[in-house]
Amino acid sequence: MKWFPGFGFQRRNRELQEEIDAHLQMAIADRVARGETAEAARQAAVREFGNIPLVQDVTRQMWGGGWFEQIGRDVRYALRQLRKSPGFTITATAMLAVAICANSTVFSWIDGTMLRPIPGARDTDDLVSLQRGERNFSPTPPFSYLDYRDLREQNHTFTGILAYHHDWITLTGGALPERAYIANVSANYFDVLGIKPVLGRFFLPEEESRPVPNVVLGYSLWKTRYAADPAIVGKSIEIARHPVTVIGVAPEGVVGAMPGIREDLWVTLDPLGTDVWRMTHRSGGAVWLNVIGRLRPGVSRGQAAQDLDTVMHNIVAAFPDDHLGDNRITLDPMWRSPFGANGYMAATLPILLAFAAVVLLLTSANVATLTLVRFVSRRRELAIRQSLGANRIQLVRQMVLEGVVLSIVAGAVALVLTSWTSKTFAWFFPANSNPLILNGSMDHKVVIGIAVSSLLAGMLCGALPAWRSAHAPAIEVLKAESASISGGSRNRKLLSGLVVAQIALSLPLLVCSGLFLRTLRNLAGANPGFEQDHILTASVGLNIAGYSHDEELVIRHKILDRVSALPGVKVASLTDWIPMTLGHKGDDAYPEGYVPHPHESLQVYHAEVAPRYFESLHIPILEGREFTPDDDEKAPRVLIVDQTAARRYWPGQDPLGKRLRIWGGLFTVVGVARNSTHMLVNESPEPIVYMSFFQVGYETIVQVKTEGNPVDLAPAVENAIHEIDTRLPVFDVRPMRESTQMASSFAVIQSALAGMFALIGLVLAVTGIYGVVAYRTQMRTHEIGVRMALGASRVDVLRLVLLQGLWITGIGLALGLAFALGLTRLIARLLYGIGANDPVTVASVVTLLGAMSLVACYLPAHRAMRRNPVSAIREL
Amino acid sequence: MSEKDQYKNRIELLQGTLDMLILQTLQWGPQHGYGIVQALRLRSGDVLQVETGSLYPALHRLERQGWVQSEWKQSESKQKARYYRITAKGKKQLASDLDRWEQIVEAIGSVMYVKPEESAS
Repeated sequence: MKWFPGFGFQRRNRELQEEIDAHLQMAIADRVARGETAEAARQAAVREFGNIPLVQDVTRQMWGGGWFEQIGRDVRYALRQLRKSPGFTITATAMLAVAICANSTVFSWIDGTMLRPIPGARDTDDLVSLQRGERNFSPTPPFSYLDYRDLREQNHTFTGILAYHHDWITLTGGALPERAYIANVSANYFDVLGIKPVLGRFFLPEEESRPVPNVVLGYSLWKTRYAADPAIVGKSIEIARHPVTVIGVAPEGVVGAMPGIREDLWVTLDPLGTDVWRMTHRSGGAVWLNVIGRLRPGVSRGQAAQDLDTVMHNIVAAFPDDHLGDNRITLDPMWRSPFGANGYMAATLPILLAFAAVVLLLTSANVATLTLVRFVSRRRELAIRQSLGANRIQLVRQMVLEGVVLSIVAGAVALVLTSWTSKTFAWFFPANSNPLILNGSMDHKVVIGIAVSSLLAGMLCGALPAWRSAHAPAIEVLKAESASISGGSRNRKLLSGLVVAQIALSLPLLVCSGLFLRTLRNLAGANPGFEQDHILTASVGLNIAGYSHDEELVIRHKILDRVSALPGVKVASLTDWIPMTLGHKGDDAYPEGYVPHPHESLQVYHAEVAPRYFESLHIPILEGREFTPDDDEKAPRVLIVDQTAARRYWPGQDPLGKRLRIWGGLFTVVGVARNSTHMLVNESPEPIVYMSFFQVGYETIVQVKTEGNPVDLAPAVENAIHEIDTRLPVFDVRPMRESTQMASSFAVIQSALAGMFALIGLVLAVTGIYGVVAYRTQMRTHEIGVRMALGASRVDVLRLVLLQGLWITGIGLALGLAFALGLTRLIARLLYGIGANDPVTVASVVTLLGAMSLVACYLPAHRAMRRNPVSAIREL
Repeated sequence: MSEKDQYKNRIELLQGTLDMLILQTLQWGPQHGYGIVQALRLRSGDVLQVETGSLYPALHRLERQGWVQSEWKQSESKQKARYYRITAKGKKQLASDLDRWEQIVEAIGSVMYVKPEESAS
């Protein structure tokens, strides 16, 4: 064991060894001279000298020296002590490693998502996302270009405001077409984010609204599709069959401005000059931009929001017809921005981190009980050290150091584990149609987090018992004849207190995980209002592949005809939206003759669906009719509304024949569909309007109701589409059941983690109470023997031991219940179909924990009861 | 058990007394650790039995404080040993230790040997 071997330290160590050897030699020589045999003399001399390592150790402490040497000495001593009891060391290290890993894993997920909202961007703390109107979960892009431009130019609180809109596109021109996620961005996009190109340049202000077909490539796209061509700048590539010029390449790791979403390449807002309408209007389809601003130094979010509200107020006053609904501006820091993934993360991950912290606390309490028991059995050694001149602070320092050494090793193990578990976050997200790049990250923040939590844990599980043990007066401990009392009543109280803490901490974990598991079951069992089984969907990248409008129309009809004719297909339809995939389209809708209240949000969800859509999903049309093939571009625009929309716009009236203004056009209601789930099972119902696919459809998703397993039909559907045109990109071919899993992925994360944490908590609490009751019973063996010898029956003994354990359990459960009732309030928002204080869950958890504790107390009680009193009395 | 017996019978030395005894022993000439133990036992008529676990830490502490110096020498029996020698600073310390000791003895004595009539008045 050579830790921090100082040169002088080694020499002094050797000299001390020699000095002691000399002492022994002289003692032996004296004894031999008195007539003892060599062997007897040696033994006597060694015995007389005493505990050589202990003497050496105490002597070394007198050398003083640098703090480095002192720490080195203490560490060596701690390691020696830990090596003496490998069982304790391994158990404690493993438990701490798991608990620290639980924390660091959740933290690495927070670090990779909420704390790194925009990879590659400078000072993301100064960035805020802008939302206009009603705040809701997963909002649609809130700004038109003209509104955005006015906000950008008239505010006084931002150094810059950027805007973007992203979607899938097909990269053509190469050997194979490839789907990529493209963003239309304002010219200052990279400037505001604080990103510099690795090659070429980014966009110029004068390019923003003019049709300049320039493109900036993302690093990974440049590497994979263009072979990291160093001369790519200035070359022409093809996007959706249009030639565009590469002007620059973004640095590695830059993936755009929406948290959790990967953008592959960037163009200006209207690079081909085909979107003039969108660039010159303020409402309807022209509301398409997500906006992020960078605050000026020293400006608070509140001040900035006020400033923007003033600007927005003027815009609304100037263009009232374009801004009928709610127009208030709200700002969110990027870590909880509702645009992208962080809204979901902020609702889930901090709570899981709190659970993990409880697990760590619980584990520390458990290790502290083990440590305390160990210190009690080591109290003679501690007393000797104390009487040899070690002061209390030194003793405490040394014992705390043992805890710290343990936790440092545990932290190192956790570090290795976390480097793997941080990457497991992506597992929770099923295959879906978004370019998600959610994962944990393992950077210096996580390492610091591990270091801090392991040190804290080490202090907790070392300091408390150490302080207690060091308090024991040395003389009394040395005089004490036997270990019949477990280190005095103070230690007993501390032990019981620690076990109470473990039970009190594990109960809320169990309650929360029970609530989460039942939520998950309720979500899975809930009826979303549409058929999920026997449905296959496949996206066709028609709109992104560069076909003309007429070509698209022809191809869509062909797809519908061919897929319908496939054997095994019951019904085929087209749609441009799949429910419960965390995505939706929304626009303002104005019922004819309806005067909205000030600040009333008029946004509705909408979906464009072809004939037989409702039939294939088993959504009943309650009034009116479904769409027919005749509802095409030549026919009058028609709508089907759901019950929520009907009730909201025309309460108490017949909605059929009523008209809604959307995107400046009038749509007539021809049917009412039953409500179904749009985003999440536990959403509050939002109005949705269905429009005819052949009138206003944009994206093309083929939706097929199959006779058998939908997966079996996937190749046939793909083939049928490719027979029309082999260049048609087909992607995201999967059963509906698989797509809708996205809606419950956060419930899965919550229940999976909470369940794991609760299991750890249960095991720790039960082993904790078992350990303490067993230990205390063993300490009382002598007393129990006396009681039995004096006539106590076995049942009396059983009761004696059981009662002390059950007292602890009872207090722990009572405290835990109070704690649980507070904690479940935090998770109430995440529950579905179950109250936060659900009595069944609480009762079953209390019963489970109580029963497990009873077993844990019964085992040692049973053992004590069966002891032979005679042998028990002899045992001290 | 051996450890227990060993420590049970030891004579608790008042804090600081051991330092004084060691320094006093070294007044008679340089001595090694074993020699100090023997000398103390001999001169106290087998009453004072200094623990090695107290002696060596004390010697090393005294050396750090500059009250003793040490060097390696051959003993009469050709055994190489570390000899400690008292320094000038150590002698001063011994004088002040002795002063304090005498005060304590006197103080304790005046408590223990109180004359009955004095306490009655």
